[in-house]
Amino acid sequence: MADSPAPGESLVKREAEAPANDPIVSRSTSGWMLVCALLLTISIAWALWDEAFGQRPWKGMQREFVARYTRYLDSIKANAGRSEAEIKESPEYLQLDAEYKAAEELVMPEVKQIDTEVARVQKKLDAVTDPFQNQRGRLTVINYYVETSTGSAQERYRREAEEKKQETIEVAMPADNGHAAGTQQFNYAQLEKLYDELREQKAQNLGRKAELLKAPSELRKKRDDYLKNQLIGLGPAAIEGLKAKMANYDYSILGHQISVNAYNIVDRCEVCHAGIREPLELTPASLAPDKPGGEPDRLARAFVSHPKREILAVHSPEKFGCASCHWGNGRATTNETKGHGRHRFWLWPMFEKENTEAGCQQCHARDRVTDGADTLNLGRDLFAERGCVGCHRYEGFDRETDALGAARQQIGQLVDQITGNEKQIRANEQTGGDPNTTEEQVKRLLAQSESLRVTNSLLEARIDQLNLQTKYLMQDQKKVGPNLKDVRVKLRKEWVPYWLENPQGFRPGTKMPTFWRFAAPLDDSHGKLRDKDAPQQIQAIAAYLWQDSFDLKLPEQQRGDAGKGKQLFETRGCLACHSTGEGDSKMGGSFAANLQRVGEKSNFDYIVRWIHNPRERVAPYCPKEKRDLTHEDYAKKNLPFVFDTELHSTCPNDGAELQVQNMTVMPNFRLSEQDSRDIATYLFSLSSQQNYAAAPYMDDPNIKEKGRLLIKQYGCAGCHEIRGFEEEQRIGKELTVEGATPIERLDFALQTHHAQEGEDPLKLRPEAEHKPWYNHKGFFERKIAQPSIYDEGKEKDPKDKLRMPQPYLTPEWRVALTTFLLGSVGTEGSNVPGSLFFNPQDQRRQDIQNGWWVIKKYNCQGCHQLEVGQRSAVQELPFYQTPEGKDLLPPRLTSEGARVDPAWLLKFLHDPSLSGEKTPEQQRQMSALIGSPAAHAQPSPVPRANASASPGASPGASPSANQAAKLPPQPGLDRNGVRPYLQFRMPTFNFSPNELQVLVRFFMAMSGQQDPYIREPMKPLTDQEKITARQMFTSGTPCLKCHITGDPTHDATAIAPNFLLASERLKPEWTFRWLLDPARISPGTAMPTGLFRKEGERWVVNLPNPPASASAYHDDHARLLVRYMFLLNPDEQRQLLAAERSGPMPVATGGARPAMQNHARSRRRRTGFHHRRKPVRAAVGRSAARALLTGYR
Amino acid sequence: MNKQTKVWLVISIALSVVLAAACGGGATNTTNAPANTESAGATAYSGSTGSVTGVISFNGAAPASRKIDTSADPACGQKSPNLTADDIVVKDGKLANTFVYVKEGTVEGGKKITDYAWSTPTTAVNLDQNGCQYKPHVLGVQVNQKLSVTNSDPTQHNVHPTPKLNPEWNQTQANGAPPIEKTFARPEVLIPVKCNQHPWMKAYVGVMRHPFFAVSGEDGTFEIKGLPPGNYTVVAWKEGGANGTEKNMQVTVPANGSAKADFAFGEGATTSLNPSLKMMPALEIPLRH
Repeated sequence: MADSPAPGESLVKREAEAPANDPIVSRSTSGWMLVCALLLTISIAWALWDEAFGQRPWKGMQREFVARYTRYLDSIKANAGRSEAEIKESPEYLQLDAEYKAAEELVMPEVKQIDTEVARVQKKLDAVTDPFQNQRGRLTVINYYVETSTGSAQERYRREAEEKKQETIEVAMPADNGHAAGTQQFNYAQLEKLYDELREQKAQNLGRKAELLKAPSELRKKRDDYLKNQLIGLGPAAIEGLKAKMANYDYSILGHQISVNAYNIVDRCEVCHAGIREPLELTPASLAPDKPGGEPDRLARAFVSHPKREILAVHSPEKFGCASCHWGNGRATTNETKGHGRHRFWLWPMFEKENTEAGCQQCHARDRVTDGADTLNLGRDLFAERGCVGCHRYEGFDRETDALGAARQQIGQLVDQITGNEKQIRANEQTGGDPNTTEEQVKRLLAQSESLRVTNSLLEARIDQLNLQTKYLMQDQKKVGPNLKDVRVKLRKEWVPYWLENPQGFRPGTKMPTFWRFAAPLDDSHGKLRDKDAPQQIQAIAAYLWQDSFDLKLPEQQRGDAGKGKQLFETRGCLACHSTGEGDSKMGGSFAANLQRVGEKSNFDYIVRWIHNPRERVAPYCPKEKRDLTHEDYAKKNLPFVFDTELHSTCPNDGAELQVQNMTVMPNFRLSEQDSRDIATYLFSLSSQQNYAAAPYMDDPNIKEKGRLLIKQYGCAGCHEIRGFEEEQRIGKELTVEGATPIERLDFALQTHHAQEGEDPLKLRPEAEHKPWYNHKGFFERKIAQPSIYDEGKEKDPKDKLRMPQPYLTPEWRVALTTFLLGSVGTEGSNVPGSLFFNPQDQRRQDIQNGWWVIKKYNCQGCHQLEVGQRSAVQELPFYQTPEGKDLLPPRLTSEGARVDPAWLLKFLHDPSLSGEKTPEQQRQMSALIGSPAAHAQPSPVPRANASASPGASPGASPSANQAAKLPPQPGLDRNGVRPYLQFRMPTFNFSPNELQVLVRFFMAMSGQQDPYIREPMKPLTDQEKITARQMFTSGTPCLKCHITGDPTHDATAIAPNFLLASERLKPEWTFRWLLDPARISPGTAMPTGLFRKEGERWVVNLPNPPASASAYHDDHARLLVRYMFLLNPDEQRQLLAAERSGPMPVATGGARPAMQNHARSRRRRTGFHHRRKPVRAAVGRSAARALLTGYR
Repeated sequence: MNKQTKVWLVISIALSVVLAAACGGGATNTTNAPANTESAGATAYSGSTGSVTGVISFNGAAPASRKIDTSADPACGQKSPNLTADDIVVKDGKLANTFVYVKEGTVEGGKKITDYAWSTPTTAVNLDQNGCQYKPHVLGVQVNQKLSVTNSDPTQHNVHPTPKLNPEWNQTQANGAPPIEKTFARPEVLIPVKCNQHPWMKAYVGVMRHPFFAVSGEDGTFEIKGLPPGNYTVVAWKEGGANGTEKNMQVTVPANGSAKADFAFGEGATTSLNPSLKMMPALEIPLRH
């Protein structure tokens, strides 16, 4: 700047040099300025508009909501007001009000008196308090000086304190009882006394007042509670409150945003969905644009309250937000698309309405049943029942196989550990013998060896446990499909390839999926994808199955009575799982196969044997030797060819636990051989045999190896037992976190373009035909509907082609499975913080979830209602729609845990016939029938192709054919343990101890019962109580009219369980509640309500003319009856029955009748019974009755 | 900056301020619609009335009367030794115990019959248990009208209606106990009533919103009175199966006159029943083995 000219000079100079026509000075830019200003103005205007409206569409929505909601509130206010006024005029309310007022009136004079007294005392107290507290303060100061000073000073202060205490204080006392106000004089001690006295007086008076007002205030509360309880819905006050809230509505985001700092959740969904948490149930119609009840529009549907408020109650939005469960972008408020996360870059697009419950699966992935998520539960059911789990692992499903693997692995590790420890012990001994080792070291080594030995013993105990577990797990391991080792024994040869070609054609809806690579073409597009060698594939598979099957001659069966078989089939409970009929005439459950055409494909003898006991395996399988054992294996060890889950479950060669049952969930109905024949005859009568093309190739050994490779490739062994494939692994992809797979890794293959453009080769959704489906939902839906579309147009080597077959799925099932898969995202893919996952720590919830796995596995819900509101399959059957039919249904189990003693339940689930273990007689029979070598015939003469290519699958491994003339005996034959009057039969499931435990704990947990259960001791009855109870039992409350007694004549019309079971089976607390109001425990039960009425605090028999002894009994009648019931013995019951027949029981002789006489009498009655009814039936009934009696004496 | 520019600037700023103000102050129209007052309820009908009369006949052979085995309760046998089943009572080809009711219809003037309010009678309808049978076998009550169940037998009964749309209950009633009084809040055709102790005992209660129902007598006749003139669907209901059998008929009721509605059940006249285990009372329950 130093060499620059002075500023003034240079400026002047420049001005002078400026051209005359300077554009900056002379030319106007105002035009441009205007344009810019306008642009600026417009852009500011747009920015402001966008800020106010474009970005805030919710503002208008909020206003609209307030308007509509206020209008709705107004529309319901009139009714609400009326109802409150009505309640206030009801006699009940008026009486409560009068009671309250009377009580208040009664105490009011005294209360007023107390109030005056308190006021008087208070005035005095007011006058005294200040002077007293001042004086006390002064004394405290002086005392402080005393404490802190020494010597003479201390003495001086002491004196001063004394003086202070004696000092008189003037107090202006108020007027009292007519005395004029005036000053009184006190010293400190007097003042203190007066102060304390006054306070005491005040407290006393107030206490008395509270005491007096207790009764009226309780009555007032009673009146107000009555009003509150009678007022259904919101009262006018509450409605006014809501209106006021609307009038002061917070039109902002912040006021409606859910923000959970701990989990980084910010959800603004309620900014638009303003009605979600309103206390009223808001339907779209109530918020319709024109008037409440009108035609709802989009906004009305957005404003509704949450449709499942019971779920919100346990998932508070304040904790979980909204998008955690629903997905979508909780923060976006600018438009619907963004808010709902329907943007290609948003990872968690909101679930479609039909798949909403996918959100539940994120956190509840370990549940088998999640309350309130029916679609999701259905998806899980399908995944397990329809056999998806056969190929696809999913954590938690197929628990037994997983646990079995883990247990076996663990046993191996423990054995290694034991060996290692032993080695160490030997090493220690060696070192200890070494002279260089010091004594100190030797002692330490000895101690270590000792510890290792004990450790080994503990490890061995652990191995024992695991071995037992493997036994149980093998017992519980089931397959979705039938055992294909039985093909030759069970099926018609020519039917096998026919079935493979088109299973859905033969049995619509079957679990067996269509293997589109070799199946008959379903339509044109399907045909293109069929493998070129499709017919050869079918032949090869059929050949392998046929040639590697057991072969033996079953006991020959005669045809039975189809009519009786139909009756048995329809009433015993078969229809809880199976169905008959096709199309509209289909009837029964969908858990197991439709049996309409079972006669066309099967061997009659096999079906009879199967119905008789489906778990009856032809030969046991030894997992250690990896082969089926034969009769020779047993004969070599001099053992009968007997195998069962109880005493004969181990391999005679190596002691390994065997697979001794068919891996089916179908239980044993304890039917007689004749009944089994009748049922089979009925099933065979449903269809007529057809002729299928002959299949000689099935005996061709040359195509067997091809069959083996194909079976391996298609993973048939996932659902079936097939020889040579016992240890086969699942062939499909694990699906535990399938929903979290990135979209680009879902193989849309050549459908990618179609999916993005909204072109659907399957036309799954006619209502949204052109909607793009390039998302998880779209992929899953089509993959399970028709997997072959993802192979369309692909050039692939046959071994690389898709293997997934096409399952049968209804549209509803498809939605359910898609929901299940969408929600299967694991921790990583979930939109919920892992710390919020449902992970029940309390034993009760764990017990419930563990139980559901078993309950669902065996379809207990086919017959029973386990939860309120759940309906069983048999409930829907046409026979049980009449009032009479409803009484014939299996029992409701909604309160089973509260009802029964867990020890009894365990026993019952183990053996529902309650017939006890097998008798020695039965054991002997069993051995004689199938055990002794003499009972076996020579191997069947059926020619067999013996050339086997697969190791461990040689036909020689099949058991030698036994030709027993009869089926094995049936323990607990034809017996219902608890309810013999029902035609339904609780079958024997042969649960392992594991499953028995899980089930008992499930029922206890469902009813919130303590575990273990410790029974309260039952107070014995006095003689007088016995007489009273007897009279109540027989007179007005004729309990034995309906309850079974074991006397067949009587039981012909009985419809309720035997009282003799009560003491062992029931819990007294439950029994008491049951007596009072059975309908509250089991709605619709035949047991009536009103047997007792409340008299003060006790329950008495509800009779116009109660027996004299009952009137004289001053304790609770219902409790007395419970005690009587629990102490009842067979003799006593017989006497009761006799008494009921011959009028009221004589009071004096009631308990004193000799037992002999009673026996004689009942025998006479039974003899009479013989003449009147069919002998067979009577004899059976009698023996059952006797067993019941003797069993519970 | 010259004067002109200044003017433009001022105008621009002013414009933007006005715009901004307009934007900020703007609001969507929030027209508060007047509070909607729903119609305060239906009105009662007043005016001339007519009636529907008819005969219920039973084609074909009448089922033989079946004797009921009362051995389970001697008290029943003593009181009525010759108790017969009362599910189909036919006399001279005429069917008793048929419930006939007006299902729907239009009153002259265009209003639906359901648009009117029909007052609930204050008198109770009696259902008696007499001789171990319900008397009457079929009856009708109006919504919220009292049903009074009495026990005239020397034995205990339990009264167990099994409705589908009303709450179910099952109340014991001892010999000599006071009447059980109950009401049903929702129309239902018809609610079966049973006694679990005497499985043959059955009654049916029809619950209607209006008083236009009748039960055919032993001669098969019935009369529905007090019906406003108009066109109606009259339904005859006969017991059997899970839900009974119904037959419909259109009738026109003239003012102060009577319309005819004859129904026929039985052979050739029966419509297909729902599949059911026909008659499953406990007396037919096969014994356990």
